[in-house]
Amino acid sequence: MKKGILTFSPQVLRILALVVVTALIVLFFASQIENYLNGRLFNRISSSVAVMALIATGQTLIILTRNIDLSVGSIVGFTAFATGSVIANNPDLSPVLLVGYAAILGGTFGVVNGLLVAYARIPSIIVTLATMALFRSALVEYSNAKSVTSQNLPAWLVDFPNQVVFSLGEFQFRAGFMAAILVVLTAHIALTRLRPARQFYAVGSNPEAATMAGIDSRRVILIAFILSGVMAGLAGFMFVARFGNITVVAGLGFELKSIAAAVVGGVSINGGSGTVIGALLGTVLVDLIDNSLVRWPVVSEFWREAVLGAMILIAVAADTIFIRRLAKMRAARAHEAAIAAEGAKT
Amino acid sequence: MKKRLLSWEGLLLAAFATIFAFNAISLPQFLTIPNQINMFQLSIEKVIVVLVMAFVIINAEIDLSVGSMMGLSACAFGWLFQQGVDPVVAIGLCLLIGVLGGAVNGLFVAWVGLPSLVVTLAALIGFRGLARVLVEDRGITDFPDWFDALGQQGLIGPMTFAMISFFTLLVVAWIILEKSAFGRHTYVIGSNRDVAEFAGINTKRHKLIIFVATGLVSAFAGLLYAARVGAVRGDVANGFELDIITIVLLGGASIFGGSGTLVSTGLAILIVLNLRNGMALHNVTGHIQTGVIGFLLIASVLVPRLDLLRRITKKSKGQE
Amino acid sequence: MTKPTLALRSVSKMFGMTAALTGMSLELFPGEVHAIVGENGAGKSTMIKIMTGIYQPTSGHVEIDGAEVSLHGSKAARLHGVAAIYQEPMVFPDLDVAENIFISASRGLWLDRKATRRQAAELMAHIGMKLDVDRVASGLTLAEQQAVEIARALSQNVRVLIMDEPTASLSAHEAAELRRVARRLADQGVAVLYISHRLEEVFELADRVSVIRDGEHISTNLIADTTPQQMIAEMVGREVGNYFTKMASTTTDEVLLSVRDLAVKGVFEGISFDLRRGEILAMAGLIGARRTDVGLALFGITPATEGEVRFKGRPLKPRSAQDAIRAGIAYVSEDRRKLGLAMELPVLWNMTLATLATFLRGPGLVDTGAERRMAEDFRKRLNIRTPDVDIAVGKLSGGNQQKVMLAKWLNMNPELLIIDEPTRGIDIGAKAEVHDLIRGFAARGGAVLIISSDLPEVLALGDRILVMREGRQMAIVNHDAADQQRIMALAMGQEKAA
Repeated sequence: MKKGILTFSPQVLRILALVVVTALIVLFFASQIENYLNGRLFNRISSSVAVMALIATGQTLIILTRNIDLSVGSIVGFTAFATGSVIANNPDLSPVLLVGYAAILGGTFGVVNGLLVAYARIPSIIVTLATMALFRSALVEYSNAKSVTSQNLPAWLVDFPNQVVFSLGEFQFRAGFMAAILVVLTAHIALTRLRPARQFYAVGSNPEAATMAGIDSRRVILIAFILSGVMAGLAGFMFVARFGNITVVAGLGFELKSIAAAVVGGVSINGGSGTVIGALLGTVLVDLIDNSLVRWPVVSEFWREAVLGAMILIAVAADTIFIRRLAKMRAARAHEAAIAAEGAKT
Repeated sequence: MKKRLLSWEGLLLAAFATIFAFNAISLPQFLTIPNQINMFQLSIEKVIVVLVMAFVIINAEIDLSVGSMMGLSACAFGWLFQQGVDPVVAIGLCLLIGVLGGAVNGLFVAWVGLPSLVVTLAALIGFRGLARVLVEDRGITDFPDWFDALGQQGLIGPMTFAMISFFTLLVVAWIILEKSAFGRHTYVIGSNRDVAEFAGINTKRHKLIIFVATGLVSAFAGLLYAARVGAVRGDVANGFELDIITIVLLGGASIFGGSGTLVSTGLAILIVLNLRNGMALHNVTGHIQTGVIGFLLIASVLVPRLDLLRRITKKSKGQE
Repeated sequence: MTKPTLALRSVSKMFGMTAALTGMSLELFPGEVHAIVGENGAGKSTMIKIMTGIYQPTSGHVEIDGAEVSLHGSKAARLHGVAAIYQEPMVFPDLDVAENIFISASRGLWLDRKATRRQAAELMAHIGMKLDVDRVASGLTLAEQQAVEIARALSQNVRVLIMDEPTASLSAHEAAELRRVARRLADQGVAVLYISHRLEEVFELADRVSVIRDGEHISTNLIADTTPQQMIAEMVGREVGNYFTKMASTTTDEVLLSVRDLAVKGVFEGISFDLRRGEILAMAGLIGARRTDVGLALFGITPATEGEVRFKGRPLKPRSAQDAIRAGIAYVSEDRRKLGLAMELPVLWNMTLATLATFLRGPGLVDTGAERRMAEDFRKRLNIRTPDVDIAVGKLSGGNQQKVMLAKWLNMNPELLIIDEPTRGIDIGAKAEVHDLIRGFAARGGAVLIISSDLPEVLALGDRILVMREGRQMAIVNHDAADQQRIMALAMGQEKAA
């Protein structure tokens, strides 16, 4: 049995663990809350996941390369506002152009981060801590104390996230959610199947070996930040479509939530390991707990953040300890095998 | 290293003088005592935490949870006060919360061996969450007069209790960092943890002590905030970690540990306070001010790097 | 006649004033396993770095297929078909075997998993390893990781494969497997450069063998034309200068440290010796002999799992450096940069790293006056050349850094001084000074355990010499009965353990 566990890759084990934990939590709350598992819960979670899953996907790319992006919340805020203003002023703009605008705008912010981290060699924590503030003040300057309201937005944009693509019983699969899932799946396929994409893993897994293998780590890190910016830009688009009303505080705190989602989803904070599917499951799990606590009469809904903090700590600690154990078990097994081989020889 | 720090101090001094002169010339009210007092008062809680953050960063760690701990301590005080707990007891309990919170950070960093970035990120969210659990979406106010007075009224001349605390802590922190064995070990562990371990220094205990002290001082600063404002809400001190970390890094401490002094940290404090004060008096909004601080943060890491770049290019040119 | 695949033509490499290689010439032919032997520090790693494009020669040049090439960077070397694998393999722990092999392949945008796995499996079969290509690299043994690296090199059409002590950390069985792989590659036309400390495997595997010493090429012979004795003589046959003469022993009768059957499970075992006051015991051996691990166990960094240590007549079981220091044991590490000195911090602070507690007054405050007096005293006594004790220790020369490290430990007045590679990377003048310091310490009643890969140094300092090989104690030789040949033979397993 133990040997069986060893043959799975840590990534698969993490996803399995995540699914099990999610199921246990659903079961727990189903036993606690009447009429818990209904369409409304699903719809709530799915529309919130529609925004956060995109950000978490970008964050995952960054963390894979052993970096961190604290500025995504501000990028979401800026692009949400900018996208909203552009469409409010030009209501006839084609949706494709608008999405493109949001993505390019987000990507531009990513370029700033990426250049400072990869080429000026400033630790990402410092760069993005600073750009988090900088991008936010850029938003304040740009918005000029006005806000975007849903009245100014064309109907197609506001309606888009809530359009039902198909439904299974009372579970509605809405356009926003489906679009986000599509992006995440595309990212997943790209990350697992595209040859250059594997360099994200290589750089984070062993930077020295990556250099020896002729991989240009700087470029890889720059691209990770650009893609994270693009994802945050797309999330900004989803944000404006979903909420309609955008103020200068839009997206505040999303950076923490996205890191939490990625880390809970099994993306190793030391880089090199993790999947966007895991991050998606992490997003769902975080949101599930969020939404369930609101409806659980035993504790106040204000426990949400405290629980989130504890979840991150437990997830990372458990993962670290588990991976260390696994490595030890494997080493022990290899040792035994070596002794056995030696014995067989003499 | 000494030379670079000296030149860094010189640069900081020049920057401070420029900002100070600019403020003094462009703003008639700048040099008045009420404004100078006000300038310190408005950020006093942050600059108190800067003093312990310097230890954390010199030790090659980071603590993102200080703002949340300030909030937690302030909210815990509000909640305890509302429950009818004696305010003096409540203060003691809040400081205890600081110690416990810091201990959680320290244990996970030093013993479990997780990166302090992740641990304190979780704590940033978690402590803030606990603060919200305590006060939910209410504001709590009407603290006893003596408590509010601690934060608002001059105790010695126009100096408030908070300001006196800051200057006292500054001296204490300076003595510990520059004069004591503990301070020396802070540098050594930050510079190279293995070397410290091989020299028989108990690095785990040292890191634990630093995180506990940070929690304690943050909790203390949170109480000062509650006293100064006379009210608490769930978002007390939200985002303060940015300013606090920026000031320490601006003061020349390396994010990789092992370097930094309290003298240049003091200069960095003066720069940030004067900058914010000047901007506020020029009617620059808070978000833009924060943006400027963010810019300073990048510049403070980039500028010494540029200097290095120039020296390297010079050297390679000289060889050719 | 076939052209050599790769050749060095009177290549020299200088680092500042020190020559790491002088006029090195070497030819590697397709289909041969060419072994390189030499002492630690003979210039082998510099030579590899020149062949793999990491260093550029100061003079001379590299030829590939008879044409002069300049290899700038490891990528250029790879393009010419030169690849190296090291004792510590460079794998990506989070990726599976197949991906590790093909990570830098550039054909096609899409990963064809099936094809990749098939090709990886083929490569594995090609080198005769049974390895599931879906396994994640972090779970592989060292030998398996090396196989992955070899496969990676093969996937890039390697023509020259450099193997740098690949078997040093492998079990006998794994090492045999690896040698089989190397032979197989040679049979397929690859030129294999095989660097090893194990003479028996050199004789088992190599077609030709070159001896290098002090950065110079000494000889190249067909394996049939040479003997282990001849090779050892060539490896150590340098002129021994008179700065390495042995002084009279100051050994007393009082046993300070007594070690019986000391072991750290899976690392070393069966270490037993007595060390008397005034005595210098030198531990000799090659890389991978695990001598440093014995030092670390005595110093409490990796506590021993078996055996008994008595120090000053009482049992001692240090669980941390702190325990060892309290008992009176000092340990001067071989790795100044990583374990010895905090390079950015002042000389003064480094000197009192381990002894700060003795310079306190009042509540934990440092008595900087006393501290500085001690530092100035040691600066004079150890002749440390530095403008002042406040500059960063990293700015000093290697020899002076070494003396600062000695000062750091001598000022705690230890009774037992363990010194790992006391003179590595320092010039000859500083070497003599360090030797005098060590002898002086012993003469004043201290006991010294020296770990050194420098045979003349071992002979110049050691009253007795403990030779280790692959985690085992081979012999303790009295100075009078020791010479370089004998110790080298013991360290290489050519002479049976006594």
